[in-house]
Amino acid sequence: MADPIIEIKELVKRFGDRTVLDGVNVVIPEGKITVIMGGSGCGKSTLLRHLIGLHQPTSGEVWVDGRDIAGLDEKGMNEVRKKFGMLFQGSALFNSMTVGENVAVPLKEHTDLSPEIIKIIVRVKLELVGLTGFEDFMPHEISGGMKKRVALARAIALDPKIVFYDEPGAGLDPITASMIDRLILDLSKKLSITSVVVTHEMKSAFRIADQIIILQKGKVLQVGNAEEIKNSRNAYVQQFIQGEPEGAIPFKQTSEAYLKGLLDT
Amino acid sequence: MKETCGRIGRATFFVMAGVARLWKLGLVVGRFFLTSFVRPRIVPRESFFRQMVLMGIDSTAIVSLVGASVGMVLALQAAYSLKTFGAVMYTGSLVGVAMARELGPLIAAIVICGRIGARMAAEIGTMMVQEEVDALTTMAINPVRYLVLPRVMALAIMLPCLTVIADIMGMIGGYLIGITGLGINSYVYISKTVDALVLKDLYTGLVKSFIFSVLIALVSCHQGLSVSGGADAVGKATTQAVVISIVLIIVVDCLATAVIYYALPT
Repeated sequence: MADPIIEIKELVKRFGDRTVLDGVNVVIPEGKITVIMGGSGCGKSTLLRHLIGLHQPTSGEVWVDGRDIAGLDEKGMNEVRKKFGMLFQGSALFNSMTVGENVAVPLKEHTDLSPEIIKIIVRVKLELVGLTGFEDFMPHEISGGMKKRVALARAIALDPKIVFYDEPGAGLDPITASMIDRLILDLSKKLSITSVVVTHEMKSAFRIADQIIILQKGKVLQVGNAEEIKNSRNAYVQQFIQGEPEGAIPFKQTSEAYLKGLLDT
Repeated sequence: MKETCGRIGRATFFVMAGVARLWKLGLVVGRFFLTSFVRPRIVPRESFFRQMVLMGIDSTAIVSLVGASVGMVLALQAAYSLKTFGAVMYTGSLVGVAMARELGPLIAAIVICGRIGARMAAEIGTMMVQEEVDALTTMAINPVRYLVLPRVMALAIMLPCLTVIADIMGMIGGYLIGITGLGINSYVYISKTVDALVLKDLYTGLVKSFIFSVLIALVSCHQGLSVSGGADAVGKATTQAVVISIVLIIVVDCLATAVIYYALPT
């Protein structure tokens, strides 16, 4: 397996007295696509927010590209941030700017390139996501799938080593979602970018993943490639893959527990 | 009794904590502003100019209208009282001084607070909700530098300009009422206005409007940046921005007037 580019050691995160991440250990290899999966509220978004430095861990270490970003000051964090791109669930495009200006933001802020060169780079990045000629559109004039692709073009504007995806297929029709998956695969291969995808869509995960990490209740439940996960003997993993409401994770409570819950104040 | 004390204590703590957060944001903005003298690139230029147009040029009409109306009301009210002393011809002096010292800065600030403050809070608040601010952070762009700094700078330049417009429009409004409704001679009105005004009236007004501009921009941006949740939180932040700004403007106006006219040597 390739060298790890991200290593998380014993990561714990508490909000008040609620423990969201409870000793997570994860290794993400360079140049591969790693998918982090789990049900709602299992801590996968929180884990992602630690990787991009939006949350500080309660304890533990987060090594990104050879630096422990836990407890790093803003200046150091910004140095690390320039090495990665992030695709947000809702695209997070700036609504007051055109598509082209959106993609140009990181270039204008972090490079000394002239406006003409920036224009060319923007065109190249939009070309990569299949949106040639859309520079002058406003974000509200294009569809959700296109917005995702613009956001992706913006995320790769500075040629990052790592790209994080937060639910890339959420809110898209199956065809558009698989097109985004294709893009993730393409970018990963063509530009040898390390991709970290957070999702709960099984189909998409099996399609793109080199490595799948399944989280449950703030802990890593299983790590493996698509085949290993499919053939997992873990009841929870199987229930998650099949998408069944009944199984290892109780949906309904027993009558005693229900009564107890009602009467306890 | 105990409960009342507790409530007062909590309210005081709440207000102090708010002031402290505002102060902290102000310090960060101030630091970026000072750095911009050495590294001018840190000011997002496009956004700065766009904000100046939006805040200044687009607000000219409404500030003029309100300024002129206030000048007219002032002239009418002043003449009514001055008549008892047979001093109607001093209406011009009164309107001129009142507009330059007090009403021009105040009216411009309150109009801008409703127009621009609310807009800033809602805009930044929505950006928070839609993860746009997080996106900035992950692009290694400081949101305070990128969003707050250009807004504070633009308003700090534009509000004093708008104040001058409000001053002049108020005097013109008073003048129109004076020569038409009150029957004051045009020459007398103008000469009384010019005689009464001194430079100090103008620049104290401008100093005040500069302070107001920084207050409005900081409070509104701060409210916007503290949004978490959804549409409800954006609505609340917008209301808060306007209410807190107006309260602060009036309190600070009171303090500034006391300091400028009584504490400082004349």
